[in-house]
Amino acid sequence: MNLNVLVVDDEKPLRDFVRKNLEVRGYTVRTASNGLEALAIFQNENIHLVIIDIMMPHMDGLEATRRIRQESHVPIIILTAMGEEADKVRAFDLGADDYLTKPFGVGELLGRVKAVLRRADWSEPASSEERIVRGEIEVEMERHRVTVRGEAVDLTPTEFNLLVYLMKNAGKTLPHRTILQHVWGMEYGEEAEYLRVYVGKLRQKIEEDPYKPKYLHTEHGIGYRFEG
Amino acid sequence: MRRWFAFHRDLGLQLFALYLLLIIPFLITLLIFDGLIGVRIREDVQASDLSLAQSISQEVDLAISQALSTVEGLSVQPGVIEANTDEMQRVFSIIFSATPEVNLIYRLDANGIMVYHFPEGPGSTVGTDFSFRDYFQRALLTNQSIVSEGRISPTTNQAVATAVMPIWSDAGKFLGLIGANIRLESLSQTLTTVISNQQSEGGLQVVILDSADQIIAYPDSQFLLRPAIDIIPEQYLSNFNGASHSQIVDAPDGEERLYTHTPVSSIDWEVIVSRPTSAAFATQIILRRIVVVAAGTFILIGLFFWGTLTLRVIRPIERLAPISEAIGSNQPLSDAEQKHLQSGSKRNDQIGHLIRSIIRMKDSIAERMQEQATLLETSTAVVSSLDPETVLDRILEQMGRLLSIKMYAVIALDEEKGIFRIRASRGLSRQFTEQLSIQPTEPDSVTMRALHSKEPIQVSDTETDPSYIIRRHRARVEGFRAILAVPLNTQHAPPTALLVFHPTPHVFTQNEIQLLTSFANHAAMAIENAMLYERSDMRLREQTHRLEALVQSLHDGLILSDLNGRVIYANKRVGELADLSTKSLTGLHADQILARIITRTADKTNKRSDAQKLLNKKGERKIEVSLSQSDRPVHLRLEVFNVNDEDGAPIGRGIFFHDITADRELDRMRSSLVSTVSHELRTPLAAIKGYASTMLADDVEWDRAAQHEFLTIISDESDRLTNLVNNLLDLSRIEAGSLKLLREKCDIKETVHNAAKQARLTQKNKLEIKIKEKLPVLYADPPRLESILRNLIENAVKYAGEEAGIKVEVDRNGKDFHFRVSDDGPGIPAGESQRIFESFYRVDDSLARLTSGAGLGLAICQGLVRAHGGRIWAEPQETGACIVFSIPVKSGTKSNHHKKIRKKTSQ
Repeated sequence: MNLNVLVVDDEKPLRDFVRKNLEVRGYTVRTASNGLEALAIFQNENIHLVIIDIMMPHMDGLEATRRIRQESHVPIIILTAMGEEADKVRAFDLGADDYLTKPFGVGELLGRVKAVLRRADWSEPASSEERIVRGEIEVEMERHRVTVRGEAVDLTPTEFNLLVYLMKNAGKTLPHRTILQHVWGMEYGEEAEYLRVYVGKLRQKIEEDPYKPKYLHTEHGIGYRFEG
Repeated sequence: MRRWFAFHRDLGLQLFALYLLLIIPFLITLLIFDGLIGVRIREDVQASDLSLAQSISQEVDLAISQALSTVEGLSVQPGVIEANTDEMQRVFSIIFSATPEVNLIYRLDANGIMVYHFPEGPGSTVGTDFSFRDYFQRALLTNQSIVSEGRISPTTNQAVATAVMPIWSDAGKFLGLIGANIRLESLSQTLTTVISNQQSEGGLQVVILDSADQIIAYPDSQFLLRPAIDIIPEQYLSNFNGASHSQIVDAPDGEERLYTHTPVSSIDWEVIVSRPTSAAFATQIILRRIVVVAAGTFILIGLFFWGTLTLRVIRPIERLAPISEAIGSNQPLSDAEQKHLQSGSKRNDQIGHLIRSIIRMKDSIAERMQEQATLLETSTAVVSSLDPETVLDRILEQMGRLLSIKMYAVIALDEEKGIFRIRASRGLSRQFTEQLSIQPTEPDSVTMRALHSKEPIQVSDTETDPSYIIRRHRARVEGFRAILAVPLNTQHAPPTALLVFHPTPHVFTQNEIQLLTSFANHAAMAIENAMLYERSDMRLREQTHRLEALVQSLHDGLILSDLNGRVIYANKRVGELADLSTKSLTGLHADQILARIITRTADKTNKRSDAQKLLNKKGERKIEVSLSQSDRPVHLRLEVFNVNDEDGAPIGRGIFFHDITADRELDRMRSSLVSTVSHELRTPLAAIKGYASTMLADDVEWDRAAQHEFLTIISDESDRLTNLVNNLLDLSRIEAGSLKLLREKCDIKETVHNAAKQARLTQKNKLEIKIKEKLPVLYADPPRLESILRNLIENAVKYAGEEAGIKVEVDRNGKDFHFRVSDDGPGIPAGESQRIFESFYRVDDSLARLTSGAGLGLAICQGLVRAHGGRIWAEPQETGACIVFSIPVKSGTKSNHHKKIRKKTSQ
């Protein structure tokens, strides 16, 4: 499968490092040195994955992410030198799927790239069931469609996968680690903040009052539970 | 205990006790003596009475015994036994004449019939039966002679007692008896004789009683044969028991008498001697009277002395005590006390003397008190003001009042001119007061002498006093003859003295001087107080001014309000914050000002209500608000605090507007620095880690060229990291002011090229370097200069893009070299060109963070340029950005030896 990856970074050495490693492993890589360039390329070509640095001249990674997310569910990995949780949360809020903190090695890069692409592969969660209904929430597996109180809700692949996983295990309290490994991939396990952000986004989309959740319950220090 | 104290306190009691101590032993002695004498006298009287009674008893006994022996003798006469009348006549007549006390001798026959009696006439009772007589009955039973009871003889009609002898025949037949009547009167005569012998003892009474207690003998014959009870108290009679004894008993007529009796031994008769106790114990009674009189006299004398003592000495002294106490405590005396003193003072004795001296003391105390009161009053008046002029005025006013003088003055050192001048005066001519000036060195001036000796000095007559000769003229003109100078004991005020003038020669008395000296002490105090107050007042005002200036120039705002919230004080900063003039703030309500300030916050509604809550809360509270003032953000921390007085009671409220903008900025910069540094370091690290891990990955085999490329990048990035770290160190040294430049001759061309080489230009970038010919030698720190240029070129690449054209120009402008780095990129946004050099400032803080580390780079550039003595700025141009920095042209080098060190360190 020929996948197109867009790598955006203002630092040439880093950009080249990512490009070379992906190209040698069979990906087609396009590069950009700032957000504006990246958007231009994204709009003209079929991109399957975006790897983007935050701090860049002219248009930074977060703004670019936001704009890409407005028109596409393409997986986005953020590169950041900050490592501060506030920045990660902001990246997730704007629609990033994952992030890598500089410096990172080839192994991490490839692991995240694969995991993100796997989650984005819509066929993966398709299973025996065709439809799952819990309370007012209805999920059509085949069409990746989610209806809440009769209205269609737009979810990213990761959000969709997370919701399906939680709904399938409705009533059980699922530990952070278990959820992360099932939804994000086996490489994950410690990234509890991912869950916090995603559960928050899901609540915004499916709960009537996100601050008094009816379906998605937090078990402090343990994990989450879906009630339906 | 209390009595003991009372005794010790009371002189009267003590004297009384002393008197008793003297008199009681004397009286006791008298009483004992009286008792002893009394017993003696009683014993003597009793003994003499007893002996008298006994002698009478013996005499009676003798008479009776004679009668008895007579009748016993007759009873054996045959003529008598036979009752022969003739014989009996003969015998009886013989016996009769021999015994004068017998007045009748007779013979009764066995039947008690009178046979014969002698003398026979006048009334014969021959033939009369006397068998009823007691002696006849008793004679029938005995052959002994007996004595009958006393009775009246029918034959002689006289009181008699009869000696009787029964006559018995040899055959034992009773033949009758023979009796001889003893005339009781004759016994009584004996008694009368005895009594007349005892004439000295008045009231002596002697009685003889027979066994039937009839009076047998008594000087008064009327009482004969009457019962004893008529003259002897029954009480005494009932106590007879044979033995003789004495007793004092009241006689029937009520008189107390001493009775003594003794029995007559041969017959059952009693002799009783009695005499009135008054007579018997006359000596004792006289003695006792003497004792009583003596005791009474002593007591009377004692009482008299005591009374006199009390009245004349103790009472006056007692009354003097409270008076002298009252005088001591200066209390008014009552009328009675006055009168007492008055009358007491007339006495000539010691008490009078004492009272007179007390009166003198009282007058002198009153006088002194009056003086002190005046002094106190005047002193109080003097010290009641703190204004120096008023104080002087008062001093003069009160001096006149105190001493009733007309001319006086206060003289003091004029510190500026160094001479003594009159500061204020009364009754002196203007000419005198204005012209009088005394040099402190004048030795014989009265004022100076007083001030030097610190004692009052007087000249009692200016005409005669030799020390006053020079000034005599002055005195004559002014019209005074005596002068007194009293120094004031001042420490903080200039030396001062009081001067008193007298128009006539006058010796100022000790009292006057003393009074004036006391007054001078108070006056000195008043002057000093006024002086110190003036100074402290000035100091306080100065301090207040300073404090106010300080508060006014505070960068922080301060409002002080009263308890109702009305503003008492607000400083300039508050005016600026509230956009009001500082003056108009006072009187406003603190809430109004606060509301006005808060109106300018970013989120008004919340802050306003928060601030309102803050004001309404009790105790210390804080809130932070952010305002914009002149389009600049201002962060304030409002702190409300209670203003309390010394006791902790609230008297108002303060609001402090602490400007924390700088703190906030610093905080922001600090966190910005950390994240910037972190980012700057991570960027090269990311490349290093990335390529190293790429080469280590097992799944891909890289060719040699690629490997070489990767290692080159790793090496370059490591250098970049090193540079970065050095730059950071430089930056921190710049911030700390400890950066030391090593200036040396610097090849401009080489430096620029080196910088360009390291600046990560892409192949598409077009770099143009223009260095003016014939530039002077540049002395600079080459690595630092290189850093500046590299940073600027890197920034140009970053912002203008990888295909941008970059131009580096160097030329000279006056005394400076100018380095210019420009690009053809989008340029610097308008209004940002000044701020981009602020440390860690990034052009936009919000979403579009344009740069990665540009702030740090420019900040480093600026620091290094300034360290070289130059400056850096952004120069506006039509397209792209242009940063220019200047380095002054300087001749010579300071430190060649640094070169070596430098080379070593850079290796």
